[in-house]
Amino acid sequence: MSTNRKTLTKELLELVAQEGMVEPSEITPERPLEELDIQSADFVMILMAIEEKYGAYVSVDNELTDVVTVQDLLNLAISKIEAHQAAEA
Amino acid sequence: MNRVVVTGLGAVSACGLGADVLIDATQAGTSGVKPIHFEDLDAQRVKTAARLSEADLVEVLGEKPHRMREPVAEYALTAAREAVAQAGLTEEHFGESCGVSIGSGFGGGQTLNINYLKLGREGSMRLDPMSVPKIMNNAAASWVSMEFGATGPALCLATACSSGSQSIGMGYQMIASGQVDRCLAGGSEACLESGVFRVWELLRVMTAERNRPFSKDRNGMILGEGAGIMVLESLDSAQARGATIFCELVGFGTNSDAGDLLRPDPKRAASCMRVALNSAGMTPAGIGYLNAHGTGTVANDVNEVTALRDVFGADLDGLDVSSTKPIHGHALGAAGALEMIVAIGALQRQSVPPTINFTEVDSKIGLDPVANEAKPKFLNAVMSNSLAFGGINATLIAKAYAPD
Repeated sequence: MSTNRKTLTKELLELVAQEGMVEPSEITPERPLEELDIQSADFVMILMAIEEKYGAYVSVDNELTDVVTVQDLLNLAISKIEAHQAAEA
Repeated sequence: MNRVVVTGLGAVSACGLGADVLIDATQAGTSGVKPIHFEDLDAQRVKTAARLSEADLVEVLGEKPHRMREPVAEYALTAAREAVAQAGLTEEHFGESCGVSIGSGFGGGQTLNINYLKLGREGSMRLDPMSVPKIMNNAAASWVSMEFGATGPALCLATACSSGSQSIGMGYQMIASGQVDRCLAGGSEACLESGVFRVWELLRVMTAERNRPFSKDRNGMILGEGAGIMVLESLDSAQARGATIFCELVGFGTNSDAGDLLRPDPKRAASCMRVALNSAGMTPAGIGYLNAHGTGTVANDVNEVTALRDVFGADLDGLDVSSTKPIHGHALGAAGALEMIVAIGALQRQSVPPTINFTEVDSKIGLDPVANEAKPKFLNAVMSNSLAFGGINATLIAKAYAPD
């Protein structure tokens, strides 16, 4: 069963805040990750947490290079998680 | 300066045993990538690697593993035996006049992995007492020197993905300067162990799908393993013993970014290629084929193509470029050696090996490599790049041998 997207978005925002070491109150979907000082080393931590929690493997590559804002990252993560869940189903 | 020629090639790779087997596979576009499964990993995300087949492993390692040797040393020995036999070297050609220069990124990955798992699971203190000599990075170089009685300098460069190329370059320099008459040079890697594989997964530079260098839909590399060793000799010593000369090694460049550990700098990669061209006394237009580092990660591909545009400019259109990593995988410390053998194979066969799995030009980089099928071409000189983590770059150039 696929995780409800609203819950997933909320969980992912918390995860980005925790792994990116940013105050949850500072994170809003439209903010650029750079502005939040989330760098490539943090990306690797965020992607590891996504793998642990949802089982989806996201490589630091093509699609990730187009990610600018928190929302971009959420969209990519959600699409990978949903694709993973569909494949597991 | 002595002229330096190649008189023997040896390779162990996912494509099989033998340099010709590797060259055949790269020319035919036949990939050695296979499914891989680690019992130790609860959840394995990446499920393929360019690993040796079970039959080849038995042939190289024997039915019962050597007590003092890891696969990384066995791969190097197998490749070195092939290269030495092909070159027709016998006892009198070794001793002080022969050096060994065999790099490795990881060295022995297997024994430590087994030890840590045993220690962690069982709390056992009964670990392999030969661990230290087995895992030390220079084990492969030392075993090769012992096998043949090569008592000249033995080097082991551990410069990640540039280890193989730099090792060949060091062999080239030792011969060019007259320090030795010949050298067994290359790289070896046997990194497909559960713990090592998992940390590569965590770096997230591996694709869970197919490796597609320079292609718009690329999303990472595929790990490989193996060894590539070549016999390098001064032209004088090769001629004196009537050896068959495969090609001449004419250029070597190496430098470092001194910038970022993981993010490459295209200006430094360009400078490295220029150093190699200068040492060969060539212009970019003289290179007919480039075997790119071409890992299929966005960081490498964008960096390398930017550097190529810088060096080759308008000549880039006349240069055929491919990455053969989707065929033999990214063999890290062996990569540069395997790829130089592939480039020499292109020179021998006058045919550019393809970048397989390529689907579409990426508008971000605009490089149209030789894709999916080999391309017959008159080749006089070939180049191979290695651009490693740690910001270490190395470029080699080989040319068809032409007597004076």
